[in-house]
Amino acid sequence: MTTIAKPAVGRVASDVRNFCIIAHIDHGKTTLSDRLLEITKTIATRGLEEQHLDAMDLERERGITIKMHPVTLRYLAQDGNEYSLNFIDTPGHVDFSSEVSRSLAACEGALLVIDAAQGIEAQTLANYHLALDHGLKIIPIINKIDLPAADPDRVRGEIEEMLVIEASEAILASAKEGIGIEEILEAIVTRIPPPTGTEEYLRALVFNAQFDSYRGVVSYVRVKDGSLRQGSRFMSMAQKKVYEATEVGVFTPEMRRTDSLEMGNVGYVIANIKSLGDIDVGDTITEAANPAPEPLVGYKPIVPMVYCGLYPNEGVEVSDLRDALEKLKLNDSALHYEPESSIALGFGFRCGFLGLLHMEIVQERLERNYNLDLIATSPSVVFRVTMSDGVVELIDNPAKFPARDKMLKIEEPYVKATVITPPDYVGTIMDLTQTRRGTLRNMEYLHDGRVILTYELPLAEVIVDYFDQLKSRTKGYASLDYEVIGYREGDLVKLEILLNAEPVDALSFIVARDKAAFRGRALTEKLKELIPRQMFDVPIQAAIGGKIVARETVSAMRKNVLAKCYGGDITRKRKLLEKQKVGKERMKRVGRVDLPQEAFMAVLRLEDGS
Amino acid sequence: MSGLYVHLPFCPYICPYCDFAKWPHRRSAAARYLDALAAETARAPAFSAETIFLGGGTPNTYDPADIAALVERLRARFFVPAGAEITSELNPDLELCEGFDAYRAAGITRLSFGAQSFVAPELEMLGRRHSPDDVRTAFARAREAGFENLSLDLIFGAPGQTTASWETSLDAALALEPQHISTYGLTIEDGTPFRAWQAREPEAFADNELEADLYGLAIDRLGAAGYEHYEISNFARPGFRSRHNANYWANGPYLGLGVGAASFLGGVRSVNTRDLDRYCAAALEGSPIPVNSECLTGTARAGEAAMLALRTAEGVETQSFAERYGIDFLTHYAEVLSEMRAAGLVESSPSHVRLTRRGRFVANDVCAAFVTVP
Repeated sequence: MTTIAKPAVGRVASDVRNFCIIAHIDHGKTTLSDRLLEITKTIATRGLEEQHLDAMDLERERGITIKMHPVTLRYLAQDGNEYSLNFIDTPGHVDFSSEVSRSLAACEGALLVIDAAQGIEAQTLANYHLALDHGLKIIPIINKIDLPAADPDRVRGEIEEMLVIEASEAILASAKEGIGIEEILEAIVTRIPPPTGTEEYLRALVFNAQFDSYRGVVSYVRVKDGSLRQGSRFMSMAQKKVYEATEVGVFTPEMRRTDSLEMGNVGYVIANIKSLGDIDVGDTITEAANPAPEPLVGYKPIVPMVYCGLYPNEGVEVSDLRDALEKLKLNDSALHYEPESSIALGFGFRCGFLGLLHMEIVQERLERNYNLDLIATSPSVVFRVTMSDGVVELIDNPAKFPARDKMLKIEEPYVKATVITPPDYVGTIMDLTQTRRGTLRNMEYLHDGRVILTYELPLAEVIVDYFDQLKSRTKGYASLDYEVIGYREGDLVKLEILLNAEPVDALSFIVARDKAAFRGRALTEKLKELIPRQMFDVPIQAAIGGKIVARETVSAMRKNVLAKCYGGDITRKRKLLEKQKVGKERMKRVGRVDLPQEAFMAVLRLEDGS
Repeated sequence: MSGLYVHLPFCPYICPYCDFAKWPHRRSAAARYLDALAAETARAPAFSAETIFLGGGTPNTYDPADIAALVERLRARFFVPAGAEITSELNPDLELCEGFDAYRAAGITRLSFGAQSFVAPELEMLGRRHSPDDVRTAFARAREAGFENLSLDLIFGAPGQTTASWETSLDAALALEPQHISTYGLTIEDGTPFRAWQAREPEAFADNELEADLYGLAIDRLGAAGYEHYEISNFARPGFRSRHNANYWANGPYLGLGVGAASFLGGVRSVNTRDLDRYCAAALEGSPIPVNSECLTGTARAGEAAMLALRTAEGVETQSFAERYGIDFLTHYAEVLSEMRAAGLVESSPSHVRLTRRGRFVANDVCAAFVTVP
């Protein structure tokens, strides 16, 4: 996707450079970011918290960046001039490629960080191609050269071979040890072109937005043309809404107000925007009085790829869940939710996410930050169903799947997946991906012996534990990246699960017909492990179109009694019962059966097989 | 009704499933402990002991003369009415089963033998060093000394046990015609050698199905022999229920003396420290014995009372429950009760709510519904 707008020829902001850092996870992006802030004295010393830009705990725990925090570095270059280097952070995970894309659109150059020991990985490639599509100047950085296993020569070879960049352009660095940092700053100044634009009108790209409970929405903008002054009236070009810029400013990294944001620069604007829904990230803002003829990039709303149901567990009010989702949504425009109800689980929300990681993060935030005990149903993709009357419907919930005879055609999203792996694991990856309905499109050997496998496979197969399986089968060596490439017809059926002869809508899922019976057996076996014994036998059945394909039984608890309960034991024994009660209360009662939370995610934990 | 419990923690050897406060017998420690008990007794509040229970540990690691002196001290300190039930637990190891006459003379009225099994390999598995015949001999000695109220403890679910071997033990126990039999499902407690064994080899232990079969067998066999199943683990000939234990389930007051002993006085549950040295030092110095205590109120207190009462054959007597705890049992727990009734776990008469036979097998699931989660 080439989205770069042709710059109107005009002024050059020669003292400004806009750049971002892209890398595979764990290749050292965050450490390098910190080092750049430190050496330019943007932050005085290393702050109390390491990794300054990753502000959220969850992100720090996972070592990934999700939210983008731009910052302006002041740098006195060897040519004697001082430059404003606007550093725009990017999320590091494949789920967030649409956000990466918007950040890239705000830059002229990118630092591509590659681990000197691990070499190029799947996300390195994906991010590289994304940056190329945006026409960015790429500066390869071979990081972690201090590691004993570092092999910069090998990585140089990979850069020439896979990225088609002169190996001599790569900068050797160790962000941890502070090696190569000056050289990187010089390269930003000398190799990345300064921004250019026109002064005829204002065009600024909104590349991110945050919600601040005191000031409303803070939009992060890159001014492409013209300038954005405090007090000016501007218009969002997609929604055609007009606002007054009550404050504009830059990130130092704290927000510092200025009179205006000039052409080529990066900063923020605060207007009286009450919710993130009122401004679309990716939109262009222009002056209301003198609008630009065209917006900057084709506006594309974010489309959730993965859906799941979130329901309050026993003891949690559905209104508390709604309040928490509303608050999360303030700062996460990619999160979608709408009320739904399940026969098994009652009232809850159907939630849409960019991908599995995004889903996990949202769930964790709800549970940790809002202290909500939730039941999540297994994730689903969005199926495109053509009904007998020709009407096309998008179905994101297996429970709502129409009856077979009402459908002409079912289509599901496919992805192109790139896997880079040492050669020993090619066989096992092929086995895995084949059982996931993958088609091998390309296989390429790198000169260090590693292999790039390119597959096309249904997204539905990827979201069901594919990444974890890949990691465990390759002892963590394989890396994965994928992008959605469109919808394809599939021979799919709905697998229903019945407990106690009652269908449980929240446990049903969509599966390829030829794998349905196998999955049904695997799932009933898994559920038998996960469902504790009840007071009565619980039959677990899997059915396709009303026909039972698998059955297991959780036999009734026959004996559960404390043998002794005398004087000295009474307190202790009562506490045992209290504990048992708490365990039971944490379960969800469906019909007469108490189900642990894990049961609803059981489909994610099935062994692969044919 | 109120009862006195005295803990005697020393044992000739330690059984691998036991998690009570217990120590291998050492003469000096055992002697010091008796002094500490005497000191604690001297400082104990005035109390009327309609039952006394000497538990362990293994009380008969002490000489009968020591036991007699101990009971004498208790009589001197507390009011022990005529007709009080005074029980001692005993290990049926014959070396320890001498001098029952002295017990009798001290006023002990009831003996409870830890027989555990009448199948030799099972006794070995349980770490017991006596034989099935030792139990028979010990029993005969007790009868000879004039004891007419004898009890046996049996364990089911022991490693290697089958329904057939359990029947053997039940029949052997019945052949001795005890007044009272307790059958305890083996409970694997944390920190015991059995826990480690179970972690290594879970299949060595009875599964849920076998445990249920064994329990059902005990209920049927002992019931048919004329024993009343008056509490989940206890069976008695008419008139021979353990009055001391019945007081626990009735939520009556009791005073516990000794290391790890529990008391329930004035609505407060407290447990003496389980640290033998600290216990002895505090008692002998005259400083307060460290305790853990709690005092439940309101529905928590009522729920605990229900948990205890439901263990008994009579169950909860609704009128006295309302008078004591200020809660109308049938209305307060109406929802739970109707669910339990529908599941066949409880039954009620106009005056009582009790577990059904099936309910006794899963009493935890029933009782858990009544306790309150803090």
